[in-house]
Amino acid sequence: MPATPNNVSAQWELSDGPQGAVVVRLSGELDTVSTPQAWREMEAALKGRRVTALKIDARGLDSCDSAGLALLYHLSNGGLTSGVGGEVEGLHPQLQHLFRSFSMEDFRALEEHEPACSNVVEDIGVATEAWLIDLRQQVEFIGEVAFDIAASLLRPKRMRWREVLRLFEIAGVNALPIVSLLTFLVGMVIAFESAQPLAQLGAQVFVANLLGLVMCRELGPVMAAIMLAGRSGSAFAAELGTMKVNEELNALQTMGLSPVQFLVVQRVVAGILLTPVLTVYAMYAGLIGGIPVLLGLGFPLRMVLRQVQSGLHFGDLAEGLCKSIVFGAIVASVSCLRGLQTGEGPRAVGESTTRSVVSSILLIILADAVFAALTYTLRK
Amino acid sequence: MSASAKSMVTARELKIGYGERVVLERVNFDVHRGEVFAILGSSGSGKSTLLKHLIGLYPPMSGDVLISGESLVQAEGDQRLRLLQRFGVLYQGAALFGSLSTVENVRLPLDEFTDLPPMAKDLIALSKLRLVGLEAAATKLPADLSGGMQKRAGIARAIVMDPCVLFLDEPSAGLDPITSAGLDALIRELAQGLGITFVMVTHELASIFSVADRVVVLDPRARGIVAEGTPADLRDHSPLPWVRQFLNRGTQ
Repeated sequence: MPATPNNVSAQWELSDGPQGAVVVRLSGELDTVSTPQAWREMEAALKGRRVTALKIDARGLDSCDSAGLALLYHLSNGGLTSGVGGEVEGLHPQLQHLFRSFSMEDFRALEEHEPACSNVVEDIGVATEAWLIDLRQQVEFIGEVAFDIAASLLRPKRMRWREVLRLFEIAGVNALPIVSLLTFLVGMVIAFESAQPLAQLGAQVFVANLLGLVMCRELGPVMAAIMLAGRSGSAFAAELGTMKVNEELNALQTMGLSPVQFLVVQRVVAGILLTPVLTVYAMYAGLIGGIPVLLGLGFPLRMVLRQVQSGLHFGDLAEGLCKSIVFGAIVASVSCLRGLQTGEGPRAVGESTTRSVVSSILLIILADAVFAALTYTLRK
Repeated sequence: MSASAKSMVTARELKIGYGERVVLERVNFDVHRGEVFAILGSSGSGKSTLLKHLIGLYPPMSGDVLISGESLVQAEGDQRLRLLQRFGVLYQGAALFGSLSTVENVRLPLDEFTDLPPMAKDLIALSKLRLVGLEAAATKLPADLSGGMQKRAGIARAIVMDPCVLFLDEPSAGLDPITSAGLDALIRELAQGLGITFVMVTHELASIFSVADRVVVLDPRARGIVAEGTPADLRDHSPLPWVRQFLNRGTQ
């Protein structure tokens, strides 16, 4: 039964012997190119056929690679003839070594190895434990960072101020364009969105007051902190994570230097110092973004500025700045913590970077909610 | 059969370097079929740089690299892909993909370049793992393997497409002497059992004497090959005293 078309270099044929015995004769070149087709055709030809004995004749093969050997092995194990196996005859002696390395046992072991299905209760337990351990590590870390910052401030000479300045530049100065662009646009959007409902009440002029309050108390600090988390916090985590993977952190430890003292303190100090500056900048950019909208609504510039001024008190600015200091400390320390917690390998660095951004933003919003509740009670 | 037809890897008047800096020049050698060929030299002599040029990672400044008679430097597109499939490479750190299990690492080239049924791919990948003695570690992640096992898995992945030539970059770097001797035995076994040609870069003298049929010695001062021959021959009869000294340390 000729089966293979001419353009494929492997040929095979089945011949029937007495009482259901089948002989498979292969010839030509059985390699990665020709084997897939031969495999499929043979599977189709032998499907449903009653085979009592099998003989595989490989004498005609000019060449055969691992793919071809896999087919021969599968055939000889009865994989295509419902379990009726047979010897491969006439295989080139050079291929015997390779042929012997095939093993059905290994294949079955691989098949049986399924990812262990864990039970839900166990999963919840494991997740809770991990969460509690993480919480404990965070608390410990906050303590360690606070202690080291205090120690550095008491002995300012030990602090690496040059590193703080460098971080100030890359995380602060270099972030100014994107922070100003984003808050400018946000200011614009808020002015547009609030103009219409306020117009219905005849209070469109208060758009300026609203914008001033929102920018100073809420969006200025939050936007600056989120930008810091996305832009610089992730970089801190990736940098420290890569250092951990490269065993640089181990090197510091064996030199008797604490990674927290040597790497984290500078970042947290830089974060605390630069976030208020970024925040003030963000507040201004937001206000400036709202002004063109207000001018477009027909209010003169002087009036807009007076409205903003009269609506804002020192307390609003102080609230915004206090928040930003807390946010800066949160972003810098959480990102460093995630970096230090990095596991092994390149994937771990990616994971810790993601974790740093997610935890930073989550904690920023949490702290913001605490601030909102606190200032509400204080104002009453 | 002519000499060049038998040659699996040929370096012809190769001049290599980074940017303006020439590291090696006038590099010529032929690696014959089934031979274990070692490139030897002190640290900084350009061994790894030479290997990176031989496997086509970087283009040479001038000269040519032939893989079984065809130029790797000039090949493009499908022809280059075909040439790349004729050899496998074991990198110094094994370069296994950390997110894939050992068997998935080995199977990757089959998944990408062949149309075989999934069962065939598994059978082939597992057979290569058995050849390097790692069949029991098939489902483990590379991070859970020891250094020696990672190297073995790297070799299994390098031979999965049945290459004629295997390039090894410092195969025994970072391994203890016993593990390293095990790896040497594996190299011998693969060279004899499967007829694979090996080109290895190393400064491990013990493994050179146990596996290499022929070595070339690189000298950073001469910026090229200063000696070529069998390890024992160079040790005893090289005209260069430092080459004799260098190789003598390996047999003490």
